[in-house]
Amino acid sequence: MSNDSLDPRVNRLKLGPAGEVVKVEEGENWNIYEVFHQEKRGAHHEHVGCVHAPDPQLALVFAKEQFARRKKCVNLWVVKSADILAFDVEDEDMFANNMEKTYRDASGFKVMEKINKFKQSK
Amino acid sequence: MYGGGYIFDEPNRNQLREEQQHDEPEKLAAFEERIAKGEKIEPGDWMPVEYRRQLIRLIEQHAHSEIIGALPEGTWITRAPGFKRKLALIAKVQDEIGHGQLLYNAAETLGKSREAMINDLLSGKSKYSNVFNYPAETWADVAVIGFLIDAAAIVNQVANAKGSYGPYCRALERICYEESFHLKQGHDAFIELATGTPAQKEMLQDALNRWWQPIMHFFGPPDKSSSHSEKLMQWKVKMASNDDMRNQFLESYVPKIWELGLTLPDPALRKNAETGRWEYTDPDWDEFFRVINGGGPCNMERLQVRKWAEEKGRWVRKALMKPTEKRVLPVA
Amino acid sequence: MMNNAALTDLIIKMADDELIQGHRNSEWTGLGPVMEEDIAFSSMAQDKIGHAWALYRILHEDLGGKHPDTFAFLRPEKEFKSSHLVEMPNGEYDFSLMRHFLFDLAEAIRYESLQDSSYEPFRLLSKKVKGELKYHTLHANAWIMQLSRAGEESYDRMQQALNQTIALAAGIFEPSQHYEEALIDDKVYPGEKELYHRWLDRIYPVLVKASLNLPEMSAIVPVYGGRHGLHTPHLQPLLKEMSEVFNLDAEASW
Repeated sequence: MSNDSLDPRVNRLKLGPAGEVVKVEEGENWNIYEVFHQEKRGAHHEHVGCVHAPDPQLALVFAKEQFARRKKCVNLWVVKSADILAFDVEDEDMFANNMEKTYRDASGFKVMEKINKFKQSK
Repeated sequence: MYGGGYIFDEPNRNQLREEQQHDEPEKLAAFEERIAKGEKIEPGDWMPVEYRRQLIRLIEQHAHSEIIGALPEGTWITRAPGFKRKLALIAKVQDEIGHGQLLYNAAETLGKSREAMINDLLSGKSKYSNVFNYPAETWADVAVIGFLIDAAAIVNQVANAKGSYGPYCRALERICYEESFHLKQGHDAFIELATGTPAQKEMLQDALNRWWQPIMHFFGPPDKSSSHSEKLMQWKVKMASNDDMRNQFLESYVPKIWELGLTLPDPALRKNAETGRWEYTDPDWDEFFRVINGGGPCNMERLQVRKWAEEKGRWVRKALMKPTEKRVLPVA
Repeated sequence: MMNNAALTDLIIKMADDELIQGHRNSEWTGLGPVMEEDIAFSSMAQDKIGHAWALYRILHEDLGGKHPDTFAFLRPEKEFKSSHLVEMPNGEYDFSLMRHFLFDLAEAIRYESLQDSSYEPFRLLSKKVKGELKYHTLHANAWIMQLSRAGEESYDRMQQALNQTIALAAGIFEPSQHYEEALIDDKVYPGEKELYHRWLDRIYPVLVKASLNLPEMSAIVPVYGGRHGLHTPHLQPLLKEMSEVFNLDAEASW
């Protein structure tokens, strides 16, 4: 059975007729899991992408080769995308004033100034 | 691997007018300001309908090009000579599938499912890079594809990685990193043949002659004939003009080909010392459109093989399907 | 003093199995059932070819054998010692997965046994491939379990694939006609018979959990022959294809 391809692998397949209608069903590529990659011990797990998988076990199996076949990696997490809770993008303004709240920041406290002032007053 | 051969979809005028009514002017202004400042757009952000549509189309075509691009090189997987070449070629074709995976995910964040994209590929509704509709006739073709097509793809992908859509940029960052391995192994195989026996050199020259036109086609039609889409440039969907990318490719790689004593089948090819730009004979653009529309030597086989893979894998996917499980698109 | 002829025989059969199985599995690259699995299966094909390469290098560097490329790509069919299991065409994914499960678990117990080998190159190699094989068996076990529990069609396919492959897989453990005793006495490895029993102990619990029926092993006839050069009709064309480019000019550098 030859398909007359230059690829011997393809010549071994029984290809369908040209113009054959092939459709995949919605959901056939399974659910989506987000993947988090830990580069070295002590480092945070960082989001690196996602995999399609039928369950967490295979998601982890797939994530290992898709996201850790080259670069350094010591561990991976997977979590179903549907289980991630995030703020709406419109809520970005909630974070807007963070930088102004200097009482949360070391630079907001001028200790040396006070010490110097005290020393000068002596 | 993907080039600038992206054919922008001209929107239907009436449909566009209707869609634009949903594009509220203040939001549009904020969106464009964000892009002008160099900020990225993320999946949950407001975006113009037309931005979403063109991006899905672009990323989807890129993804299709990866999984179809695995086929011409896959032609030589079982025949690669020696352990090093055998392993490098399998790893490379594997990477192309990996890139497809990353890109389909990026496109999915815009609201089109992987299944819908695959269906559009199989039905011929959605296109992929023309270059993969040509056959890989000899081992030297693998060297030419691995070196020059990957090099051309890098020119395009490095540009696109500076685009405005966050998930696409992140996918491209990883892809470009892996492409540098492809380019290196392709260049290595290319040099091996170029500096090898007379028969090896002849084989390479022959492959180069056959691939030159598809490579010139790779970046898409000349700027003068393609409908300029200023909006898409402004929105940082399209990052460089076809001619600029082609010129950049010629600038970097023609000298690398010539230095090995090889020739290119275009007597007019030369760098204009005054303008600093490369001059060349226009490739046959009718052929380009003929191939895009299904008339290339391998269009039919490529789709038949993809259909075979989907068909044969169906029982595996269906067996583990969980239709009632809550499913959302990738979050980033 | 090690028996070099015995070692060479053992290394060749291990390496040939890995090479041919890796080659077969690489035929799936780009054509797998879903992209994620395509990537995973391809990595494992590369690992196998990599193991073969490492073993041929041991032959070359330690036992006076030929250069790995020459040895793997130019050897006549009758000098190959691969088992019939790995020579079989890929068939559908059920067959390929079941073969992967049976082969990789066999490979895993073999390399585990080499951790205590008296032959140093084996000890080093077994340490190096340990992590890879752990992933391979994790992957294989997960698939066997999931597909066997996923409805009637899928279960039937897996059971049928098991029926088709089990005697072939038992053939992996064909004892050497001349060297078995020497290798055991020299503590190179525990011998095929012992590995066969360890393998059965390893596959059995997975098959039970998957509710697959392992045929009565005393009743099946392991498919032997590959270890002494008698092959299926599938090997010759595979080798011809694999060396097609290399053979254009065996003296040239590719």
